[in-house]
This record gives sequence, structure tokens and C-alpha cells, in this order.
Amino acid sequence: MTAPAVPADGGPGAVARPAGRKPSVLRQVLARPDGMAGFVILVVFTVLALVPTLLVGPLQTAVTATGPRLAPPSIGYPLGTDELGRSILNLTVHATRVSMVIGFLATIVTVLIGAVLGIMSGFVGGRFDAVTMRIADFFLVIPTFVLAIILTAIIRDVVGTGSTEILGIRLSLITIVIVIGITSWSSTARIIRSQTLSLKERAFVDRARVIGAGGGHIMRRHVLPNVTNLIVANAVLVFAGAILTETTLAFVGLGDPFQPSWGQILDAARQVGAPSLGAWWYFVPAGVCIVLVVFAFTLLGNALDAVLNPKLQARR
Amino acid sequence: MTTPDGVASAAALAVRDRRRWPLPKLADPTAPLLVVEDLAVRFRIPSGTVKAVDGVSFRMDDGEALGIVGESGCGKTTTALSLVHLLPANGTIKSGRVALFGIDLVPKTEQQMARYRWREISLVFQGAMNALNPVRRIRDLIAEPIEVRLGQSQDAARQRAGELLELVGIPAQRGTAYPHELSGGMRQRAMIAIALACDPAIVIGDEPTTALDVMVQAQILQLLERLRRDLGLSLILITHDLSVIAETCDRVMVMYAGRVAEEGPVRRVFMAPRHPYTQKLLSAFPNIRADRRTLEVIPGMPPDLRTPPPGCRFAPRCPAALPVCVEIAPSEVRFADGVRVACHLYPASDVAPVEPQP
Repeated sequence: MTAPAVPADGGPGAVARPAGRKPSVLRQVLARPDGMAGFVILVVFTVLALVPTLLVGPLQTAVTATGPRLAPPSIGYPLGTDELGRSILNLTVHATRVSMVIGFLATIVTVLIGAVLGIMSGFVGGRFDAVTMRIADFFLVIPTFVLAIILTAIIRDVVGTGSTEILGIRLSLITIVIVIGITSWSSTARIIRSQTLSLKERAFVDRARVIGAGGGHIMRRHVLPNVTNLIVANAVLVFAGAILTETTLAFVGLGDPFQPSWGQILDAARQVGAPSLGAWWYFVPAGVCIVLVVFAFTLLGNALDAVLNPKLQARR
Repeated sequence: MTTPDGVASAAALAVRDRRRWPLPKLADPTAPLLVVEDLAVRFRIPSGTVKAVDGVSFRMDDGEALGIVGESGCGKTTTALSLVHLLPANGTIKSGRVALFGIDLVPKTEQQMARYRWREISLVFQGAMNALNPVRRIRDLIAEPIEVRLGQSQDAARQRAGELLELVGIPAQRGTAYPHELSGGMRQRAMIAIALACDPAIVIGDEPTTALDVMVQAQILQLLERLRRDLGLSLILITHDLSVIAETCDRVMVMYAGRVAEEGPVRRVFMAPRHPYTQKLLSAFPNIRADRRTLEVIPGMPPDLRTPPPGCRFAPRCPAALPVCVEIAPSEVRFADGVRVACHLYPASDVAPVEPQP
């Protein structure tokens, strides 16, 4: 990544703006090299996830596979083939969608649960706070992955593994989304709660109360806008974590065999014994994708944090 | 709403109009605006009970501005906040009567008070930056009480917020600004706009000009003065600054240690203070016309209100204290010129006709 495409704002040039308004958060993030790098990587992967068929053709299956078995990269198959003769490039690109969709949905679920419970427990306090936070603590101390495996098995038992679809997403993927949501909301809730606790004591909350605003109104209109930056910064990191969790679950065989994800590919490679056969092309592309996406989210999260956190801004 | 450059009679008109606005159902249209009788407020603290306000009485008429002065901790803010039940959790109104339009507010429950708070009595807080939510546009902050209290739609409330901004001297377009984008004076103007949002009869200003520079202070006071004239508002102004009171108020109430020392028309009280505490307080304030001189200080400290002295509470610091002062609390004496004083130097029998308390 060379010089950022967006002119760097916030310097002396910003003074000319009316009312001295700061450039938008997105612009500020993109003005930073790490923010720009993360953003570009994510745009690339989003395109892969949106139009995989356009780029590498329809998803190849055991039936439609045409290539040689477990062949190293060649002109026809730039990333080689798997044990069924499917193009690894084709698989990896198609897997992007599943990984990204799960990451996205799981982030929404996590942040929703975390923000709602965090704000409520910070604001309402008392017994509600105590109970919610003990539950959050429970999820924090239990090793996430172990819990996720157990939960996946249980939920799958309850809702079944059939090919039922909700909004075009297979039930087994929804299961994974729910599992990730359940296991990762607690840290978000804790962060939001601590911020809410300090916001609650600010004079403007008292003023709103004097005016006659109820708790719900104050939480929605006064507390929520004040924690939005925290929620956004946290969501970016949750996204990365969700993709990792999905990968790991798929790797231990809890994914959906009919919809390839990066974890699924890694699992398949392990089952075939690709590492010992020297078939590096089987698992390296998926691994690189995972690392790149998680890295991009981390970069973006750091950039957001630096832009949104006034304390870090002062130190710069 | 009358025009900003209303003529002299506009004030009287506005005051009369105010009574035609929807009053609370129980209101007695002929009753005085606000009558406070024998108000007593207690604070429970771990080391005892603080008698923060003890037997305070006063009366306000439509369109009047009352200033409350006194040292820190003399019960100014407590008196004002107890009118609308906004005392801290450990404070209670022990006794007394707060009659707004003849309706006693003291026995009202929290839910019933909601009807009167902001719609009849609203507040301008000190320190506008803390009382404004930093991430919300001031337009929405002003619209908030209109939506919450009067149940109007967001659009209608925003429209009204724009009008209110114009009224306090901020262009309506600036309503989209965030609090940090406004100057201190403009923030205080926005706070006043919030207080006016529901057309209250009384606005309580708790040190509304503290922490502003003198030029801005003058502007804010002018604004309050103009609003009072145009809207027929009544003001309760709490301040340490005697010059603010001299400039804006009709009547002044000097408080000491939770009691009223002297109350009356500003001119009378400031020109000819009768209570020794008022005299001391005034001589502790710089006078621009007087020669340069050392300001007087009042020796000693205000009494501990957990165990106030039995007699006059100012007696231990009073230069004119009589033997009776430390034993018996003086009762209020009303003079013919409308000033009432609680001091043994003015025995009730010496003063001509003593009017009964309103």
C-alpha cells in the first residue's frame, strides 16, 4: 500500500471547514496507512464474497470436478486441485462468501446482545446488573472453543441438520452464527456496561431525567449515541474473532459439508493428508485468506480506535 | 409570542397572557403564582441530620424576578430544587407548603410532579457543557422536552426548537451543531432554550452566569430580562453575585444558614440593608463607585447545620448581637416598604403595622 488515496485531513487544512467540523470518521480512518490497508483488503474479499461465480465460475462439486486429482498449481488450475479434481482457486473463492456471511451475521448477533445487555445492565444496575454480569462472567471464564463445540452439537441436535433454509442461509450455518453469538457477547457487554456506568453519572443524563424522560428513552437517545464508537470499534474485532471461530468449528468437522468455508477446506486437506503428501496448495490459500481477513480487521479496528478514542488522539 | 422589541406595555400583556395558557386542572386562576410557606428541608448524612432549609417563606407574582443570595451552603439551591422535588436522594421536605397556582406541590408523588416539572417550573443548570449530551445536536436536545413532555412529533418539536433557538439569539440553522461546536455563551443560551421548551411559568436559574466571562454574562442577563418581558416569565435567580441580582431582579431574598435573613424589593434592600448580615454581605462586595478600599470580610464561619445555634443563626458572627440573639430565634418583621427582616434589632412592637404573612 503506497500513499493513501484520500488527502490527509485534520491538519491546518481542516480550519477552513465551516464550523471547524472534523472530517468524517471514515475519511480519518482512510487517511491512516493501517486503516487504508485494512479497508482495501476487506473490499477485495467483499467482492470475492459477492460475485464468486463471475470470477471463477460456478462452485465445483465432486460431480462437476474436471481436473486431475491433487495436482500442483498449473496454468489451468492456478492453485492446483483437491483429491476430487476440484480447482482450489474455485473452492477458496467460493468459501469466502460463507466465511464472510457467517462472520457478518455473528457480529450482528454478538454486538446486538452485547450492546443491549451492556447498556441495560449498566444503566438499570441493581439485581439485573448483578445477574447479567454473572452470566457474562460465566461465558468469559469457560474456554470459548470448548463451549462452542458443545453448544454446536446441542443446538444442532435440537434444530436438526436438514436442508431447511432461513433467508437463503442453511440451518447449519445459522447454528454456527448463534453459537458464536452466545459465546462472544460477554466481552462486548462488559465494555459497553463500563462505559454506560460512567455516562450514567454525567449531568446530561440527570437533565434528561428531570425533563421527564424514562429509562428507555435515556438509554436509546443519550447512552447509545455515546457508546456507538465503542460498539463500532468492538464490532470490527468481533468480526475477526467470528471468522476464526467459524474456521475452527469447521476444521473440527462441525461445519456444513455442502457449503465450503475456509475452515472446511482446511479440514478436507487434513482428512486427505495433504500436509504429509506435500500438497501445500490445498491448504495454504485458505490459510492465507483467513490470516489476511483477520489482519485487515485488526488493522481497521486499530485505526478506528485511534480515530475515535480521544485519549489516543492526544498522544499521537 | 410578542416581538423582541416589544413596547413597555408588552410586559404587562405577556404576563396577563401567561394566565390564559393552559393551567394545570387543579389550578386556582386567582391564586398567586407561587407561595412558599415555612419550607423545611432535611438531609440525612451519616453523622446526623442537616437542617439545610428551616422555615423559609416567600411569595412570587406573575412576571416577577426573585434573586436568592447568600454564602455557599446557606440553602439557596436546596430551596429552589425542593420546589420541584429535585433534592438528592438523602434530602426530604420535612414540612411546609409550596403552592403553585394554589396547588400544593409538597405532597405530590414523583409521578404527579412530572406534570409540573418543566411545564410549569423549569431549570437552567450551571455548567452548560456537562448538561448537554456531547454527541447530540442541540436542536434535538431542545426538542427533547417537547417530545417527552408535550408528546409532540419529532418534526413539530424540531420546528419549535428552531423557533426557540431564534428566541434566545442563535440562528435556527445552528441547531444542527453539536455542543462542542458552540461557544460558552451560546451553550448557555441553548440551555435557556431547553428550559423554555415547554413554556414554563417559572424558570429557576441556578447560577446561570457563573463560569462565563463578564461580557457573555451581561448578554445572558439581557436575554433573561428580554424573555421575562416578552414571555411573561417569572424568574428565580440563584447567585453569589450581588450585581447580577441588582441588574435583573425585582426582589431579593438574602439567606443565611437555611433561613431568610432579609427579603424585599432589590432597591430597598441594597440601598438600606437592615439585617446586619445583609449589611456585611454588601460591604464585602466591591463597589465600582466607591473609593478603592479593602473589602470587608465577615469573621467566622457559617454554623454547622447539624446543630444550629438556638437563637439567631448569625448571632455568633454578628457585630450587633444582643444577649437575646443567642437565645431566641428572631421572628420576621415586615416593614411598610415591603421588606421583611428576621432580626432582634427590629422588635415587632417598634415597627408600625405588621402585615400578616401572605
